[in-house]
Amino acid sequence: MPDGYRFIGKPTARRDALEIVTGKADFIDDLKLPNMLYGKVLRSPYPHANIKTIDTKRAESVLGVEAILTYRNVPDWIGGTPRHVKVLDRKVRFVGDAVALIAAENEQIAEEAIELIAVDYELLQAVYDVEEAVMPGAPQLYEEFPGNLIPAGFPGFGPKNLHELVFGDVEKGFREADFISEGTYAYDTVPNPLPIEPPGVIARWEGPDKLTIWSATQSPSWHRFVMLPKMGFPEIRSISTHCGGSYGSKNYAFLPCFYAAALAKKTGRPVKVYYSKEEHFGAFALRPGTRFKGTVGIKKDGTVTALSGELFVETGAFSDTSQAQVAVALGEVQLMLRCPNWNLRTKLVCTNRNPSGIVRGFGGQEFESALFPILTEAMQQADLDPVDFFKKNYVSPGDGYFWRDGEWYVNRGQDYSEAIDRGAQTFGWKEKWKGWLKPTAVNGTKRIGVGVSVHGNADVGEDVSEAYVRLTPDARVTIHVCVSEAGMGQRSSLCKMVAEVFQIPIERVGVTPADTLVNPFEFGLVGSRGTYALGSAVIAASEDARQDLLKRAAPLLGATPEELETKDGKVYVKEEPSRSLSWSRTIGIARTCTGFGRFEPDYSVPNFIMVFVEVEVDVETGKVDLLQVVPATDVGQIIDPLALGGQLHGCLGSAGMDTALFEETVLDRSTGRIVNLNMLDYKWRTFRELPKFRNVILETPISTHRFKAIGVGEITTSPGPGAILMAVSNAIGVRLTEYPLTPDKILKALGKIGE
Amino acid sequence: MKSFNHFNAKSVREAVTLLKDHKGKAMVIAGGTDLIGILKDRILPSYPEAIINIKTIPGLDVIEESTAGLKVGALAKLADIAKSQKVEKKFGVLAEAAKSVGTPNLRNMATIGGNLCQDVRCWYYRYPHHMGGRVICRRKGKGTCYAIKGDNRYNAILGAKSCFAVCPSDTAIALSALDAKIKIAGGDGTRSVSISDFFTPLGNSLNQDELVTEVRIPNPPQGCRQRFLKFTLRESVDFAIVSVASVITIKGGVCRDIRIVLGGVAPMPLRAKGAEHVIKGKPLNSATAEDAARAAVSSTKPLSRNAYKIEITKVLVKRAILSEGR
Amino acid sequence: MKGKRSDEEKKIKLVVNGHRYELRVGGEAHEVDPSHTLVYTLRETLGLTGTKIGCDRGSCGSCSVLMDGKPILSCLTLTVECDGKSITTIEGLRDPTTGNLEPLQQAFIDKSAFQCGFCTPGMIMTAKALLEEKPSPTEEEVRDALSGNYCRCMSHYQVVEAVLTAAKKGEDSNA
Repeated sequence: MPDGYRFIGKPTARRDALEIVTGKADFIDDLKLPNMLYGKVLRSPYPHANIKTIDTKRAESVLGVEAILTYRNVPDWIGGTPRHVKVLDRKVRFVGDAVALIAAENEQIAEEAIELIAVDYELLQAVYDVEEAVMPGAPQLYEEFPGNLIPAGFPGFGPKNLHELVFGDVEKGFREADFISEGTYAYDTVPNPLPIEPPGVIARWEGPDKLTIWSATQSPSWHRFVMLPKMGFPEIRSISTHCGGSYGSKNYAFLPCFYAAALAKKTGRPVKVYYSKEEHFGAFALRPGTRFKGTVGIKKDGTVTALSGELFVETGAFSDTSQAQVAVALGEVQLMLRCPNWNLRTKLVCTNRNPSGIVRGFGGQEFESALFPILTEAMQQADLDPVDFFKKNYVSPGDGYFWRDGEWYVNRGQDYSEAIDRGAQTFGWKEKWKGWLKPTAVNGTKRIGVGVSVHGNADVGEDVSEAYVRLTPDARVTIHVCVSEAGMGQRSSLCKMVAEVFQIPIERVGVTPADTLVNPFEFGLVGSRGTYALGSAVIAASEDARQDLLKRAAPLLGATPEELETKDGKVYVKEEPSRSLSWSRTIGIARTCTGFGRFEPDYSVPNFIMVFVEVEVDVETGKVDLLQVVPATDVGQIIDPLALGGQLHGCLGSAGMDTALFEETVLDRSTGRIVNLNMLDYKWRTFRELPKFRNVILETPISTHRFKAIGVGEITTSPGPGAILMAVSNAIGVRLTEYPLTPDKILKALGKIGE
Repeated sequence: MKSFNHFNAKSVREAVTLLKDHKGKAMVIAGGTDLIGILKDRILPSYPEAIINIKTIPGLDVIEESTAGLKVGALAKLADIAKSQKVEKKFGVLAEAAKSVGTPNLRNMATIGGNLCQDVRCWYYRYPHHMGGRVICRRKGKGTCYAIKGDNRYNAILGAKSCFAVCPSDTAIALSALDAKIKIAGGDGTRSVSISDFFTPLGNSLNQDELVTEVRIPNPPQGCRQRFLKFTLRESVDFAIVSVASVITIKGGVCRDIRIVLGGVAPMPLRAKGAEHVIKGKPLNSATAEDAARAAVSSTKPLSRNAYKIEITKVLVKRAILSEGR
Repeated sequence: MKGKRSDEEKKIKLVVNGHRYELRVGGEAHEVDPSHTLVYTLRETLGLTGTKIGCDRGSCGSCSVLMDGKPILSCLTLTVECDGKSITTIEGLRDPTTGNLEPLQQAFIDKSAFQCGFCTPGMIMTAKALLEEKPSPTEEEVRDALSGNYCRCMSHYQVVEAVLTAAKKGEDSNA
């Protein structure tokens, strides 16, 4: 932790702070284009049905309606993995599935006209359960996917991409085990990450083959490079507005993008499709559901000797990134558990509900939460302290693992033992842990219990980032990197890194708009890659531009570039600082200094987080309160302490640990409807439920880039559900295995509900 | 949302006349915190032609003491009731109930009349129309009750027949424990009903041309203990999963008078008469409180997913009886 | 009484952030339909997009504005019922002449009391009303006042710090 940094590690105001606190930050719904129409979607009442007839004549005649599209006249763009999601289909596959699209002068007209579209459906049987869906005779959602099995594999991860994990010798592994645990457990209430801002897209065709997309996204490039092949390769320019929260789900919004672009093409006018909160619940990204039938073998010292099983991943009515999530889940479980013998098979299944999308945790949270009861049962048999177990089994430097592309990587990252020890110490684990299924304390009807879990991700260095850096003679720096602001503060943190390289006040560093037109390739802000991947590209570009600057100054100062330094807009000779030249003299008014930097993917440095929780259970009412949370991690070097603090607090959001307490999507199987499509019945944590929260953040320099930092934002939610399960089980002395632990489940476990 | 005609009533008489003239196609708006959501989600089979604003009627928001008790105008805001000295002094259970509703900013708008008249929260009933069509259920005029075969975790365990939605009003529970009366004005004049008569299984007892104008609360017994307990998953925002309001008078170490009302468990506030009977004349201790609690749930008829409410009801009744109250 | 209304009643007089507006009731783009909510009028008719719509059902607090000094939910308020009211939105906090921020806004900047920033205007308006009523609130009072404001990024801890800091600054400057 060098004190030598001028900006890095110190709290600095976000560059967009002023806009945000004055209400001037532009979110997608704040944007209005001239001549813009509003697009709305007619949604299916049935979970599974064919459209027999659809009559839009009456709706079309309403004044102010400019276009109505049905399966008959939408463009033949196609999304999903593999490609199976049409813009509109003749079949509907979940309650809320799109039936028709309408563009009108205002939302009121669109809503009125939608009422006039007449649809006749042929009802089909629906299926919701992942194992029922694959049985013979189950209703088939897609002709091309017999047995409702969606083809495994995410081609974007390469030909060997992970969809199963089979290596070593599990038979041998189980023979070597002292304890074996097996069972079938699920993490399948498909909660919603629920950013406050719903998804929205504005599309405008600049010409027959040239499209501009404005949207609220976390990764602006996706509406370009991911949508290009889905839409027949028009020229796409993607611009991101300030994004009101995403947590993965708004990396892009391919269906709203399809809808807006299709209506814009038909009408020749820009069209905004901005979802209502109800659509956000019922027709936008949920977590995938997982059910795991598995077996784990461990030795009495906690060594994991074998893990086998079948992982059913249920993705709802289509798959877009679910195969990618399976791949990453299989990678992440190896980080959590160093084990030489694996036989893990997966099945990706479609069912009649609102499809899953990307959510912070990306498949790993889901799998690990379903695996957790098996792991803890084994730990309990061996009477192992879970902190010791996780410490022993988290991937160490030098260990190897298969990552999502099926390649073998050797961990060249950190040892996180000290972070674990400090976390345990801060939390008071030794005093609070009384053994398996034993409360920490009993106060009348209240029982206190503690729990812990871990998670990590080697995607911190995933994919490619590119950046240009441009120096202007007035001693300002502009970073050309396609990054939007969705809450992680990366646009500001990158400015800080660049300011540090140039030793120039942060206010003099800016970032280009989040616009693919004016920036080189940037994959996006996923998997906590902002700090390492984007940081590396931006730092490399800065160092490149800096070299150019110094090379120009050298002859003018009669020195070599190596003898020079720059600070506060002046280049000077290190040994003789009075010998200096301003940037404007160095560069010249009629010139720009530029640099280019690129980051190549690096899957060899996993990050890490361990989350300790303390809960209090009222054994009379079944209510569980979260008293304390301590996340422990090592980030190499803090870039911005307040931004990092916020990311760690984020473990309470984004369908994280509260999915073990009170948060869930309630899908009513008698009607196929999600019945809690609103912010009263979908439960979230309020200011009155804030637990005591202490962050334990170590800074052991990690070999990533110049600032030795690694990101952790994406992983903070994943250990939560398991840790809560453990804590509540310990509090009441009964092993609990189902999420979420609402009062009815607690009371049932305590035998207080007569069945 | 879809448009409507809007009228600012300047008097109760004008409001009544407007309601009468519109023949059931007009709805009254007070705080708007329930009605606006109903209109936006278009949950009802028919949409009103007109909205009649009663906030423009002067004098309906009073909180007035008299020798007989307390008069609270229908337009009195929940925030004002929650912090009113007049309410806090002798009618604390009402203050507690008002304070527990929704969120602080909502309480600055919501009125007690609206809180009493608000529609039920059953999530089938409330299903938003633009997400595949509203649910037409028994309460909306025809069809079945979807909660019976569906996810009924928040539905009624007592006193329900054709509709299993629970009474969502926290103030109703407290007012019932206080034996309050609701004053109603309509085309045929004014009338007064008890809280329990106000709620019916499929709605409330207001006629098409009627509106609630005030609540009259008689002075509670001297020295009584009052308590409002609301069980929710969060401390803010939530409607009651189960609630209990109690007004208990102790004299000579035994219970002299008691009213216990259950909320969140039935389509109307339910007097736990069985519990009251058990504890009247007896000292208040763990044993008697537990007996009373058991009696309170002796005739519950849970659905497939809400049996847990029985246990919670018992606990709240017991805790209401044993706690210090006001 | 259906039928003719005087012209006076077809206009809604509002003061927003100190500016007087006279909005006609009607169906044109610049007019106010009876079904328009206050937040819709603020954002679409008056171009004040600082106030946000999160759920549009009064359950998230994003649309919180001050009406005659009290924090209310503008998505559940009909504009036609705001005749004669004085509204303050996030845009109205900054000093119009000097551009100086309110201490509360500065505290939010200093404590980085936001992540995505969407809930921030609603948070600041609610907190502002709290500090007007209780210049030195306890931490519990701050949490209670904000208990109807949704933040999914979990800026809560930093928001509480910011509000308490602003309160303290107010205390110090009054001392």
